[in-house]
Amino acid sequence: MSERSIVIIGLPESGKTTFLAALWHLVTARDMDTTLKFASLGNGDRAHLNEVAARWRDAKEQDRTATGGNRLVSMNLKDAQEAQVHITFPDTAGEAYGRMWEERECDEEVAQTLKAASVMLFVHANRIQAPMWVVDDAALSLRMGIALPAGQEVPWHPRLAPTQVQLVELLQLLTSPPLDVGPRRLAIMLSAWDKAAGEGLAPSAFLGAKLPLLAQYLRGNGANWDARIYGLSAQGGDYDAVDGKGVANQEAANLRNLDQPSKRIRLISANMDTSDLTEPLAWLMT
Amino acid sequence: MSELETSEIICANPDCRIADTGKCVEGMERDKCPHYGHAPAERNEVPEADSGIPLSAGGTLTPVETARLLRAGEARVISVIGPSDAGKTSLIAGLYDLFQNGPVADLAFAGSLSLHEFEHVCHDARAASRRDTPHISRTPRGEVRFYHLDLVSPTYGRLSLALGDRAGEEYRGAIDDISVVADFIEIPRVDTLTLLVDGERLLDVGARHNLRSEIDLILQALIEAGAVATRPRLAIVLTKLDVVQASADRARTEADFAALVANIFNTFSGSFSQIQAFRVAASPKDDSVQRGTGVPELLTFWLESPPVPPTAAPSAQGASRIFGRLKEREDAEATI
Repeated sequence: MSERSIVIIGLPESGKTTFLAALWHLVTARDMDTTLKFASLGNGDRAHLNEVAARWRDAKEQDRTATGGNRLVSMNLKDAQEAQVHITFPDTAGEAYGRMWEERECDEEVAQTLKAASVMLFVHANRIQAPMWVVDDAALSLRMGIALPAGQEVPWHPRLAPTQVQLVELLQLLTSPPLDVGPRRLAIMLSAWDKAAGEGLAPSAFLGAKLPLLAQYLRGNGANWDARIYGLSAQGGDYDAVDGKGVANQEAANLRNLDQPSKRIRLISANMDTSDLTEPLAWLMT
Repeated sequence: MSELETSEIICANPDCRIADTGKCVEGMERDKCPHYGHAPAERNEVPEADSGIPLSAGGTLTPVETARLLRAGEARVISVIGPSDAGKTSLIAGLYDLFQNGPVADLAFAGSLSLHEFEHVCHDARAASRRDTPHISRTPRGEVRFYHLDLVSPTYGRLSLALGDRAGEEYRGAIDDISVVADFIEIPRVDTLTLLVDGERLLDVGARHNLRSEIDLILQALIEAGAVATRPRLAIVLTKLDVVQASADRARTEADFAALVANIFNTFSGSFSQIQAFRVAASPKDDSVQRGTGVPELLTFWLESPPVPPTAAPSAQGASRIFGRLKEREDAEATI
């Protein structure tokens, strides 16, 4: 059995754990034709994967306190030729990647996982913090006859930087010492794609429109990053809060009513509309 | 005897070059600086057990780091000079901010070693600052710092842009004492010297005379000190175009700027391979002028192939001497 590792990165709440939950359900349910298939449970602790997948099947949001630490999860899968592969993913809280931008350092443990040859970068398509300027706000306020309040200045903090800047820096750091390992494959997963689909854009066009700095960076760094862009709806809609508080979500109820939970999943790319979450994994590993 | 009383000039701030330049990087008096007179910390000291692995700082580049960048590939060095408040940092930050929305002219963003610092200086012009008018902080006194951008275009392929930023007071100081020009290590290697003319100050019917005088004398000092003997390109840039265009004195100010450019051309054209005028609104106060107006044209000028320096000119020796100093400094740092 060959050993492969894929590092899953992204800012906080970008859909990393939900992807792992949906992937583990998909391969263990064996009810869809997928590029990579379940091979065995094998040795090792699968408790975290089973826990997040159970929550996903219940259409409940992932518990951030339970997923906050750094965990290494692994799956034994096999390809169409029955060749088995042991894939390791870190399930690392997005704060660890935010720290790389804000504090210019990362944990030793995280640094080791960041040296994987393949990278999945998760971006929540509906939570992109776009750059906006005072001059535009002021002009809009003037047209609406509402003065911008004075004296409420917010001092600089790195977390206020636009999403695209933080993501570019994250990728730049992965191509610089001490994290540089040479050219890599990169799957950009635009999560919560069901919320972005209304824009009517293909994933790569969405990236160009909503994250133009990142799109430019990727075009200019083809030697470092062999990239593919995917739109991913791993939940299929809004889920209920894990603590049971709040109003029950009708979307979650509808998703629970589907006989095959695997059908909640939708993965879109330039020439593909599928539920097969293993397709990007297979591409990343070739 | 205290460390301050020793004869050796030392500073605990690793970025301070007071031993070389005689100036505190923080712009402080020696007896006020808490780092002066103390030995610098060892650079290769073992980090504390609970600290993470340090990553690239994402800040501005030192001259040594910039020299390393220049050796790595095709690059252009741009020095943005001018009196205080002329808009030097606004121009550099405004250029970076244009790439947030997509390519500029036919140039696309391909990376930056200064991303963190770019974001820092842009913050007060961003809505996240909750200011009611955009603001860019002044450059602190100290050693020149370089902002870095990697760009790609069909015309030029991939190249690096190093944008030198130094406090305006220091350029103004060259008028009083041209010996300080020797500290302007960014100038001898520059491909395009970019001289900013503060549009707001030019509007002031009284202040404009002193402004024109300062501009002329800054150029005179640089030339007389041999800093531009490689005959770089010269961009003369009228800044704060939004303020100029909104003023009743717009026509007079435009005429003053044209006269200033003509005078520079007549007086100093022999010292530059090309002189061109630009008008920009890098970070306008309102939307009467589009943000970044004039900046793409200036960027295109910056990227044109650098002039070939005269082979036997003493300036080339000067430039070699500067790079020799940078190399020596780099070698010294590498041994720490």
